[in-house]
Amino acid sequence: MTGKGTRTFAYGHVANPDGERVHRHFPVVNAPRAAYLHIPFCHRRCYYCDFAVVPLGDHADGAHSASIAAYLPLLQAEIAASASPAPLSTVYIGGGTPSLLTPRQLGQLLDGLRQRFGLVPGAEITLEMDPASFDRLRLDGMLAAGINRVSLGGQSFDDGVLERLGRRHRRGHLLQAAGWLRQARASGALSSWSLDLIQGLPEQDLPHWRQQLQQALALEPPHLSVYDLIVEPGTVFERLQRRGQLPLPDPDLGADLMDLTGELLRGAGYGRYEISNYALPGHASRHNRVYWSGGGWWGFGLGATSAPYGQRQARPRTREAYAAWLQTKGASPPAGEPPFDEWLIVGLRRREGVNLHQLAEAAGLSAADRASLKRWMAPMRQRGLLLVEGQRWRLADPEGLALSNAVLRELLAWWEARQRPEQAMAEPLPAASP
Amino acid sequence: MTDVPVQRIRNFCIIAHIDHGKSTLADRLLQDTGTVAARDMQAQFLDNMELERERGITIKLQAARMEYTAADGQTYILNLIDTPGHVDFSYEVSRSLQACEGALLVVDASQGVEAQTLANVYLALENDLEIIPVLNKIDLPGADPERIKEEIEAIIGLDTSKAIDCSAKTGLGIPEILEAIVERVPPPPDRVNEQLRALIFDSYYDAYRGVIVYFRVISGQVGRKDKVLLMASKTSYELDEVGVMAPDQRQVESLHAGEVGYLSASIKAVADARVGDTITLVADPVSEPLPGYTEAKPMVFCGLFPTDADQYPDLREALNKLKLSDAALNYEPETSSAMGFGFRCGFLGLLHMEIVQERLEREYNLDLIVTAPSVIYRVNMLDGSILMVDNPATLPDPQKRESIEEPYVKLEIYTPNTFNGTLMELCQERRGEFIDMKFITTDRVTLHYEMPLAEVVTDFFDQMKSRTKGYASMEYSLIGYRRNELVRLDVLINSEKADPLTTIVHRDKAYNVGKSLVEKLKELIPRQQFKIPIQASIGSRIIASESISAIRKDVLAKCYGGDISRKKKLLKKQAKGKKRMKAMGKVDVPQEAFMAVLKLNQ
Repeated sequence: MTGKGTRTFAYGHVANPDGERVHRHFPVVNAPRAAYLHIPFCHRRCYYCDFAVVPLGDHADGAHSASIAAYLPLLQAEIAASASPAPLSTVYIGGGTPSLLTPRQLGQLLDGLRQRFGLVPGAEITLEMDPASFDRLRLDGMLAAGINRVSLGGQSFDDGVLERLGRRHRRGHLLQAAGWLRQARASGALSSWSLDLIQGLPEQDLPHWRQQLQQALALEPPHLSVYDLIVEPGTVFERLQRRGQLPLPDPDLGADLMDLTGELLRGAGYGRYEISNYALPGHASRHNRVYWSGGGWWGFGLGATSAPYGQRQARPRTREAYAAWLQTKGASPPAGEPPFDEWLIVGLRRREGVNLHQLAEAAGLSAADRASLKRWMAPMRQRGLLLVEGQRWRLADPEGLALSNAVLRELLAWWEARQRPEQAMAEPLPAASP
Repeated sequence: MTDVPVQRIRNFCIIAHIDHGKSTLADRLLQDTGTVAARDMQAQFLDNMELERERGITIKLQAARMEYTAADGQTYILNLIDTPGHVDFSYEVSRSLQACEGALLVVDASQGVEAQTLANVYLALENDLEIIPVLNKIDLPGADPERIKEEIEAIIGLDTSKAIDCSAKTGLGIPEILEAIVERVPPPPDRVNEQLRALIFDSYYDAYRGVIVYFRVISGQVGRKDKVLLMASKTSYELDEVGVMAPDQRQVESLHAGEVGYLSASIKAVADARVGDTITLVADPVSEPLPGYTEAKPMVFCGLFPTDADQYPDLREALNKLKLSDAALNYEPETSSAMGFGFRCGFLGLLHMEIVQERLEREYNLDLIVTAPSVIYRVNMLDGSILMVDNPATLPDPQKRESIEEPYVKLEIYTPNTFNGTLMELCQERRGEFIDMKFITTDRVTLHYEMPLAEVVTDFFDQMKSRTKGYASMEYSLIGYRRNELVRLDVLINSEKADPLTTIVHRDKAYNVGKSLVEKLKELIPRQQFKIPIQASIGSRIIASESISAIRKDVLAKCYGGDISRKKKLLKKQAKGKKRMKAMGKVDVPQEAFMAVLKLNQ
């Protein structure tokens, strides 16, 4: 749990159906303290991207884009219409390429949040930035407007790779941008920054990837997000793959690349606090941890998903539909609990895993259910993928994290079988020793 | 009582190869005689099983009665008896031919005579049927009726001077066909005054009335409320209903010699009224049944297991129900440590097997794992006893057996002669023994082989079709058992014996089969979280070995607020995919892997 703004558990008495008082954990729903703002505009669409984005051309800028000028009032209107405000402790402005906005436009958005919710002192305010979309002066302006954390979309240090990804920036842009961020951090104007990299790219091999990681480490980012390439439907990459023109590393090499990442970054002092996220001590993203801990968050903007009170709500992905949506349901976020299986899907991504006892009680599972789940998962424990330490369940680093889907599928299968009590639940066979 | 004089009855069937237009022609006859109004016409009226329409083949035969006023001004009753068009059902064909006096031989005017047609024509000739050659699809650009007529004369020795050109699609030649049926097909012999003998040529199960029996009265007459005896099954019934197919069932008081009709008598299962059985009166029985009755014997066997063990009772129930309408289906419980509870089922042939399997999945909503088909082996034991083995996994150990015999078939392939070489090669590979080759026209040949049935029931048919671009056709019939050097080839997955993958092969081929089998399995079994050795063995000797390396990465790289629903959906879908697999030796094995032995040559 990361304190304010997320879900917490209280311990207390409740009455069972027989009227007896029993002790149990139950979730306490606080007003969300995290907000995500989606800025859908980009210069162009990268070949792997399936986000809700609006490409505006290579020379677009918030200062003179009619599309951006027309969008921001909608966003402000949605913020202003939010219910039950409590001061925010994290804000994440993502996209798209939100660094297309001018410092003034960003300032206005943050003002909107301040007016509606308030920002707690020391709130983490992250902006996603494209390396070729800003200079020193503009960065200073953004920091002056209130941004204190930057997530830099570097992806690669290899111009050939950047070209093949459909990125607009080149290695030179990336090095220069990182330099400015380092200076800003040294001066105290920026509290933290993160660098994004993509692993498992076409034709990537171990030596190449090692070079990429070494160049990243040389920039000393306090935080690194290293994502495996996912070929999503509808992207240029998917079309290439269908035509057999996307020579991705085979699964074994993919695993080697992931292992290398873990090894090198650990050696450099970074902790792997989530499947794809590494940070120096004290620099884990507070905002992103809300998603993985089952906490509530506001979401604003086209294509954004919010879950202020547990139930997720996705917004339309086009501007017209989003504008129309704002007129009708914008102000009524659904309420409800995130189901047990979703808490596990997100919670097990974290280094610390989940407190199963708490989750189970909150979901109304009996001790017998917990025992059944434990037996069901025994093969995964025997294979060394899942670690059970008292109440705490977590995935082993790196084997369990690398095979997390296999573990999650078993958990989902158990949960589904439990939802159909009329069918006897067969216990799986004991695991083979690998 | 229908009062049609025997002289004005014509009973005929249509002999045709799949796709040569039998069903379309039948539909056209029904339409032109006004039996079915054009507006009620569903394409392919006689094939009334959904599966049959989809595959465009007739599995269960049907019959229809038409009234036709001929050029001589008289009204005739024409009974069309449909025949199934596949080698698996040749016994049924022989029974329906026995119910007729004539046959339309329908040949595609561009494609010519095919193996299956020929086999049925010979059956028809044996039954003394008057054969009327019809050249169909005459309207198509590729039609070459003169060449095809020559072919028919050369191959079958039929006079084609009176062959009829026709297009069932456009209606061309239909009046000529109807006239020819009246003129050339002889009326049934008049035996109305003899004792009752009727031949069952088909039956099906009706959920409300019990079994409906289709029959031809050979002699005497039969009516409602009569008490009849089925001579082979030795059961007797009082008839609830007697009628004709016009083509919908229409009740009549009685039917006499020469007529074709149906009856119902609260018969519980088609196995109690088998095709070929003789119906006579309990009160006045004949002493001898009609000749030619045999019980359909399964030739091909496989294991059927529910993917989900909970579905075992449903599978048993479904087989019980199918058995009511399919006398040739045989099954008995089978238990395997690897597969759990299921059934060993016997079928007439591969098509029959596929149909049953598809009906179980489609009509009864079952998820099945089906093991590769096997034949029935005769094992001579050292102690002198003989064991029939239909499941390779149960073949006794070598030290207990003296020898193994396997069923052989006589195989005839008809093909354009350009494909001779490749087909002979195929037959050689499949342990075929060459008997002879005959040119039937200048560019078509017939190849005659004797071959183990086990080699035919694998992918032989598919291979033959693909090697000849679909031009060759084949026919086979069982000729007996032969002793061969056979061995049991076991498969071990993760060091555990996988019974359903066990197969019996010739010693000389064992090494190659073993090697390609483990390679194929390596392809078909998805990687799991641990390394899986896959081995083929004869007895305790490992003859081939492969291993599937462990999967090391299976992870969703990104999961933030908006991704959670999508990721959950994806994981659930993957978990569902696992349901189509069977866990063996703790390894999830997909359905395709159980058929691996059929796919070794691809």
